Amino acid sequence: MPLLELKNITAGYGKNIILRDFNLQVERGQFVSLLGSSGCGKTTTLRLIAGFSEPNAGSIIFDGRDITHVPLHKRNFGFVFQSYALFPHMTVFDNVAFGLKMRKVSKEETKRRVMEMLALVDLNGFEKRYPREMSGGQRQRVALARAMVIRPDLMLFDEPLSNLDAKLRVKMRVEIRRIQQELGFTAIYVTHDQEECFAISDQVAIMNQGVIEQMDSPAHIFNGPKTEFIAHFVGFENFFDLTRQNGSLTTASGAVMAVASDRPGERFKACIRPEDVQIHPAEADVPNALPGEVLVTTFLGRNIQYNVRTPVGEFAVKAEQGNVYSIGSGVTLSLIANKIILIDSKE
Amino acid sequence: MLRDRMGKRVWLLLILPGALFVAVFMLIPLFSIVISTFFPENTFTLNNYGKLLESVYFQQVFGRSVRLSLLSTLLCALLGFPCAYYISRYSRHKGVMMALAVFPLFTSPVIRSFSWMVILGRKGIVNQFLVNVGLFSRPQSLLYNEFSMTVGFVQLFLPQMILSLLGVMDSIPEDLTEAAGSLGAPKLTAFLRIVFPLSVSGLVTGAVLVFTGCMTAYTTPQLLGATDTQVLSTMVYQYAMSLRDWVQASAVAMVMIVVTMLVSGVFNHLSKKINPLAT
Repeated sequence: MPLLELKNITAGYGKNIILRDFNLQVERGQFVSLLGSSGCGKTTTLRLIAGFSEPNAGSIIFDGRDITHVPLHKRNFGFVFQSYALFPHMTVFDNVAFGLKMRKVSKEETKRRVMEMLALVDLNGFEKRYPREMSGGQRQRVALARAMVIRPDLMLFDEPLSNLDAKLRVKMRVEIRRIQQELGFTAIYVTHDQEECFAISDQVAIMNQGVIEQMDSPAHIFNGPKTEFIAHFVGFENFFDLTRQNGSLTTASGAVMAVASDRPGERFKACIRPEDVQIHPAEADVPNALPGEVLVTTFLGRNIQYNVRTPVGEFAVKAEQGNVYSIGSGVTLSLIANKIILIDSKE
Repeated sequence: MLRDRMGKRVWLLLILPGALFVAVFMLIPLFSIVISTFFPENTFTLNNYGKLLESVYFQQVFGRSVRLSLLSTLLCALLGFPCAYYISRYSRHKGVMMALAVFPLFTSPVIRSFSWMVILGRKGIVNQFLVNVGLFSRPQSLLYNEFSMTVGFVQLFLPQMILSLLGVMDSIPEDLTEAAGSLGAPKLTAFLRIVFPLSVSGLVTGAVLVFTGCMTAYTTPQLLGATDTQVLSTMVYQYAMSLRDWVQASAVAMVMIVVTMLVSGVFNHLSKKINPLAT
């Protein structure tokens, strides 16, 4: 039985419906990310789970209990805000102790647990400081400690790292993952940063326009996107149609492609990453060949990207430096068979 | 370096006209008032203040002034806080609500006092209502006493309180209340522990404005009060205009200034206790 289950949730304001018939299941102890661009409904989902707002329809089940209408202060979920939302008029100690005070925990135990938590987030000696005397990274760690000290049944993160600089973001996400594995809590993490969420999650749910397009482990999503949207999202840039003719997959231009996937079906959208396409001189005898003409070359440091016009559309190709093809020169592209992903064609 | 000096000079130019105006038309007269109370005949004396403080009549007036001003400040705070909170958090038409709150400022205090005379008079709607409902058999005297003065003060200065509070409340992020809620605080607790302490600086600004306003208001106590409900400001007028005793009038004015500054100081001190970071 999943720890948390969202069943047929509809949510939104007035005519602006953000989630329609939305479903989500989270297993105990898992770190689940909701990934998507802004406006896809990921934050709305998180706020519903936290209890900041209520759905128009549907139910939220936690640990077998319907909590749809349980007020937020009775849910015992920890929430970490993008803005940190520390209480500016309280010291770090009082901020972290707030939740324990609400639970009427004794003074000695409060002190012990707060200090323990501050040690866990590496903020020993900061307990008398005010939030405004601290850096962004330190504030976020206070926010983390404040949410975790109440021993929440579920931790909710709303883009907690997006106000930090790139280096600190990487450090903090490792930190969050370490603490999660140490304490073993279940977490739902909202972000628009693909690298971040792939790095720390057990499960990633990619959302688009209020729907989860695919929920899977990072590796599965990365290597086997189920929809065109997801494929775009995880770095597939080259898309072309394949149809099954006389038992073999053929492009619109009539070229036969060997594909490792044994997915059944007649018509597919195929996709491949720029780094999985090899570029060769014109007329070269290579497997899965597509003739083309270089349109643009872009220097990317370690690689060079070529944009190549082929009979089935424009291809982006990332190649090692070495053989340099100039604009306008004819080339042959070779698509690596086991890197071609087949997606059910929508038409 | 050159730019620094230029910057300084521009700064002087910017501040000069205003500073000159204040100096010539306010500081110098104020200073001469202070001097005149201590040196009425070119020798230093505390007599003017001694006479004043010994006078039972002055003590009554002083007590009334401070009492009514504090009461009005308290009422403005009690009425203004929920109002400002509503406008800041829940109102969909913030602009309209703010305009409504500020609207009384567009009419002169004289007109507003006259309106209260109509409303609170023996044949006014309040008395008619009280009699019709059967609470009283005869119309009550609601005018020309401390009650009508307090009503006038509150209505006069409530907008200041609301505006001061709004300014501060608008700057309190909504997610602080949500954070308190997620940590287990019911709505009221979250309000008392988070929103209230963070609003205190606005409350103090508002309270100082209202208190100073009540202490110095002249038309409202003059029109809604009576001869036996004098306050310091009407007393100054009486000394200066009716009794032609400018020195005594100045002494009363000095007392008013000192009281206002003292009370403002106390308000500030209290706010520091509730929120140590309040400015």
